[in-house]
Amino acid sequence: MLKYWPVLLVVAALLPLASSSQFLVNLAMLTAFSALLGQGWNIACGFGGLTSFGHAVFFGIGAYAVAIMQTRFGINPWFGLPAAAVLGAAAGAVLGAAAFRAGLRGSYFALVTLAFAEVFRILANSLEITKGGLGILIPLHPALANFQFDDRREAYALVLAVLAVAMGVAAWLRRSRFGARLVAVRENEDAAAALGIPLVRTKTQALALSGAVTATAGVLYAQMFLYVDPSIAFGADRSVEMLLVAMIGGAGTVWGPVLGAIVLHLIQDTARLLIDTPGFAPMLYGAILLVIIAFMPNGIAGLRLPALRRNRVRDA
Amino acid sequence: MTFRPTTRRSTLAAGAAAIAGLAMPTVLRAEPAAIKIGLIHPVTGPLAFSGNQCRIGGQMAITDVNAAGGIKTMGGAKLEALLGDSQLKPELAASLVDQFAEAGAAGFTGCYASSLGLAATQAAAKYGLPFSIDSGVADSLTTRGLANTFRLFPSATVCVNGAVDELAGLNKAAGGPVKTAVLVHENSEFGTTTAATLKEKLPAIGIKVLDVMPHATPTRDFTNVVLRIKEQKPDLVIISNYLNEYVLLIRTLKQQRVPSGIFSVFGGGFSLKFAKEQNDISEDVLDFNNWQNPKAPTTAAFRKRLDAAGVATTYEVFFGYYAVKLLADAFGRAGTADKAQVVPALGASTFYPDMLPYNPTKFVNGQNQGAQGVGLQVQHADVKVVWPDQFADAKAIFPRPKG
Repeated sequence: MLKYWPVLLVVAALLPLASSSQFLVNLAMLTAFSALLGQGWNIACGFGGLTSFGHAVFFGIGAYAVAIMQTRFGINPWFGLPAAAVLGAAAGAVLGAAAFRAGLRGSYFALVTLAFAEVFRILANSLEITKGGLGILIPLHPALANFQFDDRREAYALVLAVLAVAMGVAAWLRRSRFGARLVAVRENEDAAAALGIPLVRTKTQALALSGAVTATAGVLYAQMFLYVDPSIAFGADRSVEMLLVAMIGGAGTVWGPVLGAIVLHLIQDTARLLIDTPGFAPMLYGAILLVIIAFMPNGIAGLRLPALRRNRVRDA
Repeated sequence: MTFRPTTRRSTLAAGAAAIAGLAMPTVLRAEPAAIKIGLIHPVTGPLAFSGNQCRIGGQMAITDVNAAGGIKTMGGAKLEALLGDSQLKPELAASLVDQFAEAGAAGFTGCYASSLGLAATQAAAKYGLPFSIDSGVADSLTTRGLANTFRLFPSATVCVNGAVDELAGLNKAAGGPVKTAVLVHENSEFGTTTAATLKEKLPAIGIKVLDVMPHATPTRDFTNVVLRIKEQKPDLVIISNYLNEYVLLIRTLKQQRVPSGIFSVFGGGFSLKFAKEQNDISEDVLDFNNWQNPKAPTTAAFRKRLDAAGVATTYEVFFGYYAVKLLADAFGRAGTADKAQVVPALGASTFYPDMLPYNPTKFVNGQNQGAQGVGLQVQHADVKVVWPDQFADAKAIFPRPKG
């Protein structure tokens, strides 16, 4: 039975669509959304070994792009989805080209990404086009044509669909030549360069791909909650959420971010539902995170679930 | 008297009467179902203190309503709190609305921060459930056309306009000594909006804005900001920021002996605690903010109650308290917790928060037109209301005495 766990997971993901409880659907949606964010980070950082602490920059670019396009230029937000993905990819390419050409990696690259996100937060706070600290409120017009959802099941279905695409990208990375080059770069840059792998181009392409996926998540967030401000869009806690989800689940695996998101949300939401004492739920969440990090350094995927084990054997 | 023998029929009748008699007290005792209210606030994270203050106020109101016999038109139905911690995450605030709506909430109060309120009111609108904003000043909370959202308290625009009116009045009465000002504000929504409105309106009352200085939250050193202010020699420094930065900036202004007066709009650190415990820097500081009505007969007793419970007297407690009371009043007038009748009852509400310095209540598009802020000043280590005259318990010292 255990070997069919990915199938069971997909069935479980589809079950809330049949539920009339908006609360349950919302929990499932937030979990899938976290998985999507984690997958965005995982594409560049899990597979490519890039240490990004500022992935919120791509999320924020996506969120602001769709918000500005519809409130300032009256463009339908559905068109914002591909546009934001292109902008996210462009931001990834620019950041990657600048950082990797300068030979930055490891903690230096992490600091640059952190600074990049912070610069965007300050810009969003200062520029007129982003309405500064006031943020952008997207007018409420619930209709599928306006990319706004009266029923959370519609939003959940869309998040699942985008997550499926992101999972497809991750699965492609696992099987493609580009993915193999990326893993080679992650494992040993010098050896990869000696084999003729163009380091700067490979890492920049990975960051652009990751930026596109993460920016798409930003669009979904903006359309679900209809409000974006600099802290929501570019705040450090968003970056931390992305890397936690991927690392707890298993960085560099296709299913890792999904497993990470499920476990983290289970802990977080169950603690919140069962314990009323203010602050207890986040404390418990932190304690369990420490335990997972201490005893599962390769994440939950490191437990070697059957399907993952097969993948690892094939990789070897 | 004739004796009638016991028959099967009479035994059955007596038994039925006995059972009915025994059951009667249960029928009489049966209480109507409690009315659940979702209280959604950030009680952990960076806004935990203020969020908790709102929650405490809401819980006090529920206690008071229940102690007074519940909602009388609903047979004494009691109120019941559903407590939610939204942290500082709009998505969590919306999720709590879903959770509580499915748990049977008849209404909501919250959420202290405007960003949380925007997400939560929108989620509640999907259920058509009434939402009573307790704190959260963004105008957009009530201007974006949600029929379920009501704010008994003032919006940012109302407060900033009030601050400009106060400044104009004080300056005129003193012969116009204040001609220039420097604005210092934190750089998120609240500070940026406040400073932008002040910059636009101050020239109209004869005050020239020399400079506008935004700063981040947190900021741990204001020396450079204060040196820039000192160089420009403004008559007044006008501040809009949060607690820690507020106190630190005023301390630095005093340490650097900047002779300008200090006026704040929504001064985050302006409180009784600031007045009493930091009186070396707080004396004479003027603020325009939400506050209680010192002339209301019930205010002193309420403050004693807070003191006894070890709760700081801040406006958030009052706001949390009256946000729930507004809902309770609407349940009472509607005679039901049915949203279809409670929402119109809120729209027509004239419920008056007697401990707040407001004009009579009238809701237009969910915003109480009678709500306003008041001018405050630290005098003799206490916070005094100095504007408008109707609610003032002291005269303003303006301009600030030299030395």
